[in-house]
Amino acid sequence: MIKKADIVLFILIVVFGGLISWWSLAGSIAGEKVLITADGRDYGVYSLAEDQTIDVTIDGHTNHITIKDGTVSMTYSTCKNQVCVNTGAISQTKDAIVCLPNKVVVEIVGSGKGGAADVISG
Amino acid sequence: MSSQVRKNNRSRSSNHVRKLAFSAMFAALALIFSYVEVLIPVPVPIPGVKLGIANLVILIAIYRLGFRYAFTINCVRIVASGLLFSGVFGMIYSFAGGILSIIIMYLLYRTKLFSMVGVSMAGGVAHNLGQLATACLIVSNIKLMSYFAVLLFSGLISGILIGILAYHIEKRLPKDIN
Repeated sequence: MIKKADIVLFILIVVFGGLISWWSLAGSIAGEKVLITADGRDYGVYSLAEDQTIDVTIDGHTNHITIKDGTVSMTYSTCKNQVCVNTGAISQTKDAIVCLPNKVVVEIVGSGKGGAADVISG
Repeated sequence: MSSQVRKNNRSRSSNHVRKLAFSAMFAALALIFSYVEVLIPVPVPIPGVKLGIANLVILIAIYRLGFRYAFTINCVRIVASGLLFSGVFGMIYSFAGGILSIIIMYLLYRTKLFSMVGVSMAGGVAHNLGQLATACLIVSNIKLMSYFAVLLFSGLISGILIGILAYHIEKRLPKDIN
């Protein structure tokens, strides 16, 4: 039922996946700023240290993003699947909350210069 | 015109009609599986993690009916299940995943090197990759790729499970379904 090529392919995919997870987890540190992107454009940068609630309204969709005790969470969203709300609170760099239906992305960035990541995400 | 030629034509067209009938049945079955999929609760709250039972039908269609029929069955399933369950937005994701996965599965199948389990495994991973790439395009954010590791492993596992199932089912299917 299982051929040699299957096993080779399996190992390749696992190694590839391992590399990707290592790459995406490595260098994850407590972030300092919150970057909100809506519809592919930067919406604003907020400090993690300051407790506040940000309302993002784009094309009639609303998302409430709450910063509290150094963590960020999506507390309310008009989207149907509520995946973003269920993501919970994040505080590490490379963490992100994504609301696909409303095209809102909340990311954590390090001290001041999110450098490379910002260049890539354009 | 000899009667031989006419007979050949008739058997070719009857073969086509037979395949068409099987395709319609396969498409209906795939649609039902898509529905069953929605009913099964997923233990992890990550979008994109799912079993992909409909792929069972597509996989067997590739082996028994050929790529063109399998491709059409897949498209019919995606459009119908998109309209019925997930909405037009979900349909875009399904298309990206479904088309990439069926092409990868067919190419691996053509090499004859892989068993059904290997083909299905690659299909599962390709499906999730296609969906994630679309998500990156839609929100214009490459950051989403950090989900990729999770989706890669979930696609791998569900692909293997579906592949094992498909292998056993295909073996027991009547030989005249082809």
